[in-house]
Amino acid sequence: MEPFRDDDDLIAELGALRPTPRPAFAAELDERVAAGFPRRSWLTGTPLGPRFARLWSLPPRRLILSGGAATLAAIAVATVVVAVSEPEAGHYVATQSSQEAKPRGGEESSGIQFDAPVPTVTGHVGSSRGDSSASAAAGIGSTGSSTTGTGPFASRAGHREVERSAEMVLGAEPTEVADDAAKVFDAVHAADGIVLSSSVSGGAAGDAGARFDLLIPSAKLSDALADFSAIDAVVSRREATDDITAPTVRLGEHLRDSRAKIDGLLVQLAGANSDGERAEVEAELSAERRHAASLRSRLTKLDRRANLSRVSLRIETGAAAASSHEGSDWGIGDALGDAGHILAIAAGVTIVGLAVVGPLALIALLAWLANRTRLRRARERTLA
Amino acid sequence: MNGTLVATTEEAPREADIAFDRLYRSSRDDVYAYVASLVRDPAAAEDVTATAFERAYRKRSRFDPSRGEPRAWLFGIARNAALDELRRRGRQAELAAEPVDLVTVPAHESAEASERRLALTAALATLGTRERELIALKFFAGLANAEIAAVVGVSESNAGTKLHRAVSKLREACDGAL
Repeated sequence: MEPFRDDDDLIAELGALRPTPRPAFAAELDERVAAGFPRRSWLTGTPLGPRFARLWSLPPRRLILSGGAATLAAIAVATVVVAVSEPEAGHYVATQSSQEAKPRGGEESSGIQFDAPVPTVTGHVGSSRGDSSASAAAGIGSTGSSTTGTGPFASRAGHREVERSAEMVLGAEPTEVADDAAKVFDAVHAADGIVLSSSVSGGAAGDAGARFDLLIPSAKLSDALADFSAIDAVVSRREATDDITAPTVRLGEHLRDSRAKIDGLLVQLAGANSDGERAEVEAELSAERRHAASLRSRLTKLDRRANLSRVSLRIETGAAAASSHEGSDWGIGDALGDAGHILAIAAGVTIVGLAVVGPLALIALLAWLANRTRLRRARERTLA
Repeated sequence: MNGTLVATTEEAPREADIAFDRLYRSSRDDVYAYVASLVRDPAAAEDVTATAFERAYRKRSRFDPSRGEPRAWLFGIARNAALDELRRRGRQAELAAEPVDLVTVPAHESAEASERRLALTAALATLGTRERELIALKFFAGLANAEIAAVVGVSESNAGTKLHRAVSKLREACDGAL
């Protein structure tokens, strides 16, 4: 038999050995290609089937884009949820100040303190005027003596003695603190009040601020608070009342009793027949006068507490102050601030999401690469 | 075959389908011939060929024309599918002992021609697996050396050298048999 003449001869003979597909198979494959290789899944035949098939047939880039859009939407929703559920700074401060408020206890304190039903959230201060006086009417004393004719709560007293106090926090820019402090002094002067102590400090946001301890005539307290509110944005405001009618009435009764006793002792002293009796009455008279002086002093203090209201006013700068501006004069700066705030939340949500998804994605990537390498080697081994 | 499969996919899916259809029609028999030579089972070759085209269809949007010719990409997919089939079946990819139904001898051929063909088949069986794959890619599927290089993952010059050696070895085996 004649061998192959050359490579061309060999190659021509090789071509004759080329396997060819069956016509039926070729036709069937043609049909499948023409149909786009329809998939069959467990969803086939269900209402979701066509949608699933359409989704599955999307190019990966579109799937990635769709997934990215869905992820962005999820981040946006999460941002909104976080932003909405985040406590408002001004409200928080107000709540805290309310909780921190302690009754200014004294022996004449009625023991029950009323927070004025004023909104402590920025922007709702105007409606609070005069509310405290209304609540004062409900005040009751707890330490009243049963010896008083008006009962333990002095409920039959014709005039209620009410001690009022207030705390207010204003939010300001660092550059406005000095001006605001000057306005505070003006407002106190206008109300014929007294500045017990004050402290004004400059500096950056958060450091700059001012603090005032004031005594304001109770009759002008509402006006004074209104003036303070107009100075700058109100972060929080709290008013409290303390009904001191019962101890006032009781002290007044005791003082009257003491005076009557003194008058009696004076009469007794005038009728004393011996030095010993006179000395005894004088000693008793002296003690009673000291007692009356003490009662008078305590009564004076109570009157002062009723007539002058203690006001604690702070001017703050920084985050709390910034949040307070949101509710008042909202402008472009606030809009930028809000945008930055939302972006910060979005960044936070994204970072948290990446912190969760990142390691998982890295593990998945490494697993995919390892499997790909293993598969490639296994395939090459098949050829070996 | 030059051109792109997917470059146009996102812009005009119909054009991408047309491009794939063109690739399919130009490569269907070649892919089958290559796969049949690898798996040595006509039924399995049909399954693998269909699987390869289906995978290619699903992945058509991922094809990057800058990384090679569409035919090389398609044969790479077919190669993986065939090797997966061989691995699944636990068989080695042996091109030796071509199945009888893959080697058809026309009745009108002379005895000498039939003898030469059987000798060539026997000579193919003496080649190593990788050499037979190169022979199949070159002379059954009709791939250029550059395409073969892309399919088997070697350089073009390396593929040409290996192919030359395989042909020389095949010819020596045939000369020895005849």
